[in-house]
Amino acid sequence: MNKKIPNFVFTNQFGLLCLVVTFILIFSTVTDGFTSRFNIFALSRVVAIDIMIGLAMMVVILTGGLNLALGAIGVCAAMFGGWCMETMGIPVIPSIFLILGMGSFLGWVNGMITVKTGVHSFIVTLATMSIYFGLMTMLTEAEAFRRLPETFTEFGSMKLFKKYISPLLLLSLATCGALFYLFKYTDIGRKLIAAGANPDAAELSGISVNTMFIYCHVLSGFLAAMAAIMLTTRIGAAIPSMAGQLGMDWLLPAFLAPVIGGTLLSGGKLSVFGTMLGAVLVTLITNGLYLIDVGEFWIRFFLGIILLIAVLLDKTREFFTLKSVIVS
Amino acid sequence: MTKFCLEIDSVDKAFPGVKALNKASFKLKKGSIHALLGENGAGKSTLIKIITGIHKQDGGKLLIDNVEKTLNTPNDATRFGISVVHQERNLIRRFSVGENLMLNNLPRTTLGLVDYQEIALQSKKWLEIMDLDIDPSTIVSELTVAKMQLCEIAKALSLRSQILLLDEPTSSLSPQESDNLFLLLKKIVRDEGVSIVFVSHKLEEVFNICDEVTVLRDGKNACTSESIKNLDRKKLVKLMIGRDEQIVKSKRKTDGTDKTILELKNVNTDLGHKNISFELKKAEIIGLYGLVGAGRTELAKCLIGLEKINSGEVIISGTAITIDSPRSALEKYKIGYISEDRKKEGLILIHNVIDNASITVWSQIKKILGFVTNDMISSRVNPYIEQLEVKTPSIYQLISNLSGGNQQKVSVAKWLAAGTDILIIDEPTVGIDIKTKAYLHKLIIELAEGGTSIILISSDMPEMISLADRILVMKDFKLNGIVKNDHKYDTVSANIMEYIHD
Repeated sequence: MNKKIPNFVFTNQFGLLCLVVTFILIFSTVTDGFTSRFNIFALSRVVAIDIMIGLAMMVVILTGGLNLALGAIGVCAAMFGGWCMETMGIPVIPSIFLILGMGSFLGWVNGMITVKTGVHSFIVTLATMSIYFGLMTMLTEAEAFRRLPETFTEFGSMKLFKKYISPLLLLSLATCGALFYLFKYTDIGRKLIAAGANPDAAELSGISVNTMFIYCHVLSGFLAAMAAIMLTTRIGAAIPSMAGQLGMDWLLPAFLAPVIGGTLLSGGKLSVFGTMLGAVLVTLITNGLYLIDVGEFWIRFFLGIILLIAVLLDKTREFFTLKSVIVS
Repeated sequence: MTKFCLEIDSVDKAFPGVKALNKASFKLKKGSIHALLGENGAGKSTLIKIITGIHKQDGGKLLIDNVEKTLNTPNDATRFGISVVHQERNLIRRFSVGENLMLNNLPRTTLGLVDYQEIALQSKKWLEIMDLDIDPSTIVSELTVAKMQLCEIAKALSLRSQILLLDEPTSSLSPQESDNLFLLLKKIVRDEGVSIVFVSHKLEEVFNICDEVTVLRDGKNACTSESIKNLDRKKLVKLMIGRDEQIVKSKRKTDGTDKTILELKNVNTDLGHKNISFELKKAEIIGLYGLVGAGRTELAKCLIGLEKINSGEVIISGTAITIDSPRSALEKYKIGYISEDRKKEGLILIHNVIDNASITVWSQIKKILGFVTNDMISSRVNPYIEQLEVKTPSIYQLISNLSGGNQQKVSVAKWLAAGTDILIIDEPTVGIDIKTKAYLHKLIIELAEGGTSIILISSDMPEMISLADRILVMKDFKLNGIVKNDHKYDTVSANIMEYIHD
């Protein structure tokens, strides 16, 4: 199969696509409002943010690590943005750059600590999650920023394509495209993947693994800040509790999307497209279940089950990647 | 009638895309040492996995003490008295020797707690059989590699194993340690009535201790349970590779007038190297010889900047430099290191051939904004993959699906593609079959002829003597001496041994 693209039908992504279609069919028959203009618009806004959160986690999972501080970084960036725009009166565009800078900086701190101490990023980001969120609460005195510039908040309620789709979704799709390009067509992207797959081999082959890991954390912080900007424009305010206590509401969708999408938890293998589909699937299921009127707790229950199944799939994937064909 | 404790009769096994075994057979006589030989990919590993219950054969029979048996799990094999001592160590490094030996059958006190006195008592017995004078409470990680190996055999014996499979047991042992192992193997065959299946790439060892030989080639028997007396080295090699062996001899002449490329002056390192000084000339092959633990690989890692050099000078082309990372070693000074541990440090097993072969050149071939495509990469790397005759269905094949020899070729290819001036090659042929080994030897000589300076680390004395121009002998992280190599085995090896036992 020299140079041939592997048969798409047998890929994980195709399976996901089928699942997505199936769920759309189920929910549009079972529920009333699923295909309504209002619901599709609402869905497109939520999906956009979930994709971004999923991507933010994906780039750290690539290193074989985790970023539990994802939500905390997002909230910190959003609150920082609120302060810039509302208190300091900085115009929208520079503020957006400042927000992205803040997210990247907090990610960089995670990366530096992880690399310099050699402690697993699980512990490091568990600690920084608490630190970031605590600092933010102290500095803002837990007060929300509700008087943001209209040009900023209008973007979140803007409707495109006969008022079906939010521009936020286009932003997320563009980000997917950019990441796909990064990992497929640049030397840095390839080095990030190689460093994640086998740090020792990558280091000996002349790749600065530490630098690559820091890049991944910075990118993760950047994407978390992107998600935070999108969430802020959607709700029209920067609120300390916008991602739940310590930003933990983001964690479940953050893990679900990449793991369902075929990113290997042990690192070194990812799928941008899969992560996107994973996020779509999760949002669909959540939204559909809301419409069927199952309680909030049941939705969490289902998402938990899906995560477990996805992790099991990850295990079998790892097994089949390495051990299935023993041609010695 | 001769008693066979293990009989493999016309066993077949197929994997997707390959027929790994095709009517393979052999008979193991009770109380004998039987060599199982073949090149990488000949089906030895598959056969061992069938004998140990990891794989199930598609067809054919397996008889233990003349009774047909079915092995469904490795536990079945253990129950029938078959134990395997793997290349990879299977001891738990943080546990004591005694705990490891008794792990499958820990003695308990009346309260149900582990009885450590009993462990010491029982394990002592097995350690004595293996002439191991160590306290059973010693932690395994404190032992030398050779002693760990002996402990593993002791463990197998403690399971009352009657059939021992040894898979390349000497690959990380020094010549003395190997000799010691062989004496013990002969002893346990004689005293304990154990039979041994011995897998090795080193033919000298086979002639040293084996009674009978079975050779596999492409999954079929090239010879079956042949007595060693009817064979010689030449015949055996022919059976294994299907043709005569070509011995590589370096015909290069280095007169020592070439330019010095790399010089070390009184180098001391973080890892404990003391006063290392040597010169490497252009297009020269210098060998680093020593026992396992002499600090050779460690020296290489200090040179490429993975570990720190504390004092002394490293001089490249006349300028004293500091190399702070493998990246600057590669990009600034064009030094590469081919690791001895290709699975852990050499290759990325979950990635494909082309990604592995091109990892060193991405930075070199990128265009604006780091733009790189598969086509750009393959046009750069493919010539090397073809030159090295890497056997793979596609360059997009996962590297873990290739045979060991081909994996090794890929880990060499990436350094050829990188175009280094100095190449450190660490144990290039461990676990590699004869054909690929000869090929790699030829390649190393060609590289040197092409102007690359090579530091060759090897524990394989014949390999060292046929390739190196000068041999540096290391012991305990010090350089004990330098032997000029005239490729005459007897004198050179004697000189080397003198420095080792200084």
